[in-house]
Amino acid sequence: MGARRLTASGMRLDQIVPDAGHVFAVFRQDTKNDTHVHVGDVHAPDHEMALVLAKEQFARRDPCVNLWAVRYVDVAATSYDDVDMFAPATDKSYRFGGSYREQQRTYRRR
Amino acid sequence: MTGTWTGPDAPPAARDAHTRPALRALVLAAADDELILGHRHSEWTGFGPDIESDVALSSIAQEEMGHARVLYEQVAALDGVDIDRLAFGRSPQAFRNAVLLERPNGDWAFTIVRAWLYDQADAVRLAAIAASPLGTFAALARTLQREEKYHLLFSDAWLMRLTRSGPDGRARIQAAVEAAWPEALGIFEATPDVSVLVEAAMLAPAPEEQAARWDADVRARLAELGLDVPVANARTGGRAGRHTPDLAALLDEMTSVWRTDPSARW
Repeated sequence: MGARRLTASGMRLDQIVPDAGHVFAVFRQDTKNDTHVHVGDVHAPDHEMALVLAKEQFARRDPCVNLWAVRYVDVAATSYDDVDMFAPATDKSYRFGGSYREQQRTYRRR
Repeated sequence: MTGTWTGPDAPPAARDAHTRPALRALVLAAADDELILGHRHSEWTGFGPDIESDVALSSIAQEEMGHARVLYEQVAALDGVDIDRLAFGRSPQAFRNAVLLERPNGDWAFTIVRAWLYDQADAVRLAAIAASPLGTFAALARTLQREEKYHLLFSDAWLMRLTRSGPDGRARIQAAVEAAWPEALGIFEATPDVSVLVEAAMLAPAPEEQAARWDADVRARLAELGLDVPVANARTGGRAGRHTPDLAALLDEMTSVWRTDPSARW
């Protein structure tokens, strides 16, 4: 990998998110067949309050069965400087696997 | 909806002319509580202490008004009037809400304490109705319980954090408890003829037992938070239509759009 260290899991979001200790990422699960999806953030002093507030911000309209609240300081992130990590060097279209995504959609409709 | 009062599936308390007025008064009082507090909560929209709580309390305000709506539908069906007229077309003296709920919002601490004291009372009241042989009314109460559970979660979460936030927060919460307490006791003022329902075994526990349950619930939590409960007599009157000028001012604003054309369909 050369001399430069990969910063994946090394970048902390509190370096780019102001007051990250009090900002929670909220993940909503629409049905038990769905994964939790990041739908936005709330400011809160602690986890319990984050969930109380998240309920009204993100679950008052659309169907929801479960919420997660995760402190931004607890999120490990890659760096945008690491674009090389995601750029394919050779043609890898054989890995795209579009049919698998179609299967997921089919299973979800059940 | 008239079937609720006279149809074969109506609970005996609704079909019986002897108990019907008491049931109507009970439902109307609960509806007025929800509408008036819902309106007060809505006054925070755009002014909440943070955007999340602003949205949350605004949503709670909508839900309280939604609860008022389904309860008014019951009363309107019996009276043969439309619900807008019930909500917007009555004089202050015709309202049966507890006086506590018409008071101006004051600061956030008073808003939270008032909401919390009321949410606790509403939980006790809904539990009583839900467990009583009141058929569709009991089913309705069970539906409302679902949302009220979150309302209490929200007000309790804020109550605890403000109390434990430091001397200023604690002092404001303590002052709000003292200001709200006498009129909070008035939430359990008996609605007209409610004893008729109790004697007919249509409502249990009775209002005074509900008050005792609420008293125990809130005192336990306030003690846990190190807050003092004042010694005071209940300030009542709301269930008999005796209100403060605050209600007239509230209704004047709340009904201003409806009054421009009471016959309009919305």
